[in-house]
Amino acid sequence: MKLFTCLRAVSAAVALSIVTLSVSAADLVIAGRDDIYGKGLAEAVAGFKKLHPAADIELLKLPNANLYQKLKLSMREGTGAYDLVMMDDTWSPEFISNGWLKPLPATLVDTDMVASTVALGRATNGGLYALPVVGNVEMFAYRRDLLAKYKLQAPRTWDDVLKIAQVTGADASVSGVVFRGTKGNPVVTGFLPILWAYGGDVIDAGGKVTIDSPQALAALKMFVSLKAHAPKDVAVYGAAEVRDALQKGAAAQAIEVWPAWVPALDDPKQSRVVGEVALQAPPGQVKGSSPMLGIWQMAIPKDAQHALLAQEFLAYLTSRDTQTRLAAMGIPPTRKSVFEDPALVKQFRWYPDQLKALEAGRARPRVKNWEQIESLLGDALQLVLTGQLAPEAALRQASQKIAPVLTTAAK
Amino acid sequence: MNVLRRWLPLVGLVGPSVLVLGVLALYPVLRVLVDSFFNVDYTSGHRTFAGLANYRAVLADDNFSASFVNTLHFTVVASVSEVALGGALALLFSRAFRGRRFVMPLLILPMMLSTLVCSAIWRNWLNFSGFLNALLAVFGLPGVQWLSDPSLAIWSLILVDVWQWTPMAFLIILAGLQSIDPELYEAARTDGASEWQCLRDITLPLVVPQIVLAMLLRSIDTFKLFDKVYALTGGGPGNATQTLSTYVYDTGFRFFNVGPASAASVLMLLVSAVLVSVNVWQSIRKTRTR
Repeated sequence: MKLFTCLRAVSAAVALSIVTLSVSAADLVIAGRDDIYGKGLAEAVAGFKKLHPAADIELLKLPNANLYQKLKLSMREGTGAYDLVMMDDTWSPEFISNGWLKPLPATLVDTDMVASTVALGRATNGGLYALPVVGNVEMFAYRRDLLAKYKLQAPRTWDDVLKIAQVTGADASVSGVVFRGTKGNPVVTGFLPILWAYGGDVIDAGGKVTIDSPQALAALKMFVSLKAHAPKDVAVYGAAEVRDALQKGAAAQAIEVWPAWVPALDDPKQSRVVGEVALQAPPGQVKGSSPMLGIWQMAIPKDAQHALLAQEFLAYLTSRDTQTRLAAMGIPPTRKSVFEDPALVKQFRWYPDQLKALEAGRARPRVKNWEQIESLLGDALQLVLTGQLAPEAALRQASQKIAPVLTTAAK
Repeated sequence: MNVLRRWLPLVGLVGPSVLVLGVLALYPVLRVLVDSFFNVDYTSGHRTFAGLANYRAVLADDNFSASFVNTLHFTVVASVSEVALGGALALLFSRAFRGRRFVMPLLILPMMLSTLVCSAIWRNWLNFSGFLNALLAVFGLPGVQWLSDPSLAIWSLILVDVWQWTPMAFLIILAGLQSIDPELYEAARTDGASEWQCLRDITLPLVVPQIVLAMLLRSIDTFKLFDKVYALTGGGPGNATQTLSTYVYDTGFRFFNVGPASAASVLMLLVSAVLVSVNVWQSIRKTRTR
């Protein structure tokens, strides 16, 4: 019995060592996102392995916040744990300015790539450090059948959105509008296109906080007015709830829809509103429409141990063929030719509008500490939405808290 | 030589444990304590002495105050509810009744679930169009915003924690009840004691150590509340469910503000130490009295 226990312990130790060795011995370690993006990366890895059968590729699929922490810890310590990393476009200013990424050859970019998405991977001196792999852009959704029923036009301004919400929301089975109200990134992401449309901003070009402005106040008051026509628990709504509300036909409009959320919008097995939901760029107000960019990029860390293979994979991932395959899975592409592919346009009828929105897209502020700034603004917005703080006080409070963060970031 | 011969085996036996404890427990605590007095630039690793500035900043932060109040609220209400409910259930299950054998495993099932699974179940139930509101609608009652109403969200988290962890208090107290000598009850009844008198004068005094233990374990655990908040509310709405653990996590691991996060951790450790000391002291006092 003793011998058996001993043998079991030894074999467990050997198995652990083999696992550890095999992890560290991979030819390419990719740190990427989970969810649909993870499925896309897995598909790309499978395709790449056909070209490099001997390559041992390890793909880590991580949730958003976890990915950021892992990348920051690893690159700061220079562990060389990852050869290729996936990043939200708001992370690249920090990673590039800290010198954590390898410069990429300009030959990896061509004119078919949407320029607004490529620009986010460049340093202030123009050097290329990251390539766009997912061309996410924030869209606005509305129900064509409901608007026709009430003889309403597609919304061009946020005032129109409010009017549609008031009229369509009169039907108890439908919410006039829906959005992600969860604390932090979700609620801020829903608010930014409204803020920009009213001519406001979080930070100005000089890096000064400008959220406590009359424009921001007008935008926030509009956001609160819209909330009155949203589901009662919209303050805890995330992507899944917004998608479900749209696909179940329970919402007339959605302030914020990322195309990657709704690949099944026209799938009769999953959607009760096949062909009835239109996606367009968010409305304007005092200013024109400002669709928000939410690009996922990939870059090679400075401490990568297999940089050459990583670069080859990056070229493969951003190639037209791979982007077309991933687009068919519901992942927004970054190439114009893929957006114009007839088969894909048939599958995703909003592609022409999505491309226009992507080309005219606006990035979130390019500052080092955006994560923290977004969190502070998100707290203030949620306090307003839940009636715990007046809009004026919330913006003042957000401004006071964001200012020292910007000072720290500038040091 | 004699002294060496006497102490060497002792050092040999205790030394490795002390070393492991020192590396795994003391070093991180000391490091956090030191960092709490410094401004640390995480990216460059540059450190400048800040004195008590991090503590002042944390104490002046309204998010920290809200987190502190929420944590205490959750700790007190959840721990007391779980121990009270667990005690009542233990009293019920200490007697034989039909079906006891089948109900008991069901009762302790929530405790065996991972917190994230448990949170996923409750997220569906607490949703505005979820199971609980559907149940209320059957009785003609209006729906409740369990997670999105700032005044209710913390109570919803307490409800989930009570559902998951009452079984733990129940098992601890039940073990205490089953260790009481039945002859004590027989003797008391022979002397004419009523059921209530038996409960008040025999059962409760003898089960106090188990109640204190359950209270101690649950208050330590509830004070560290993180996962349910992370999975159910993200600290919202507003900062209605922000706890000290989520505050430290956000400050340290999302924003990498090492100094303030360390200061908040030290303050949290102090409060936790006070809570544990009070409980342990109570336990020792009761044991001595007996």
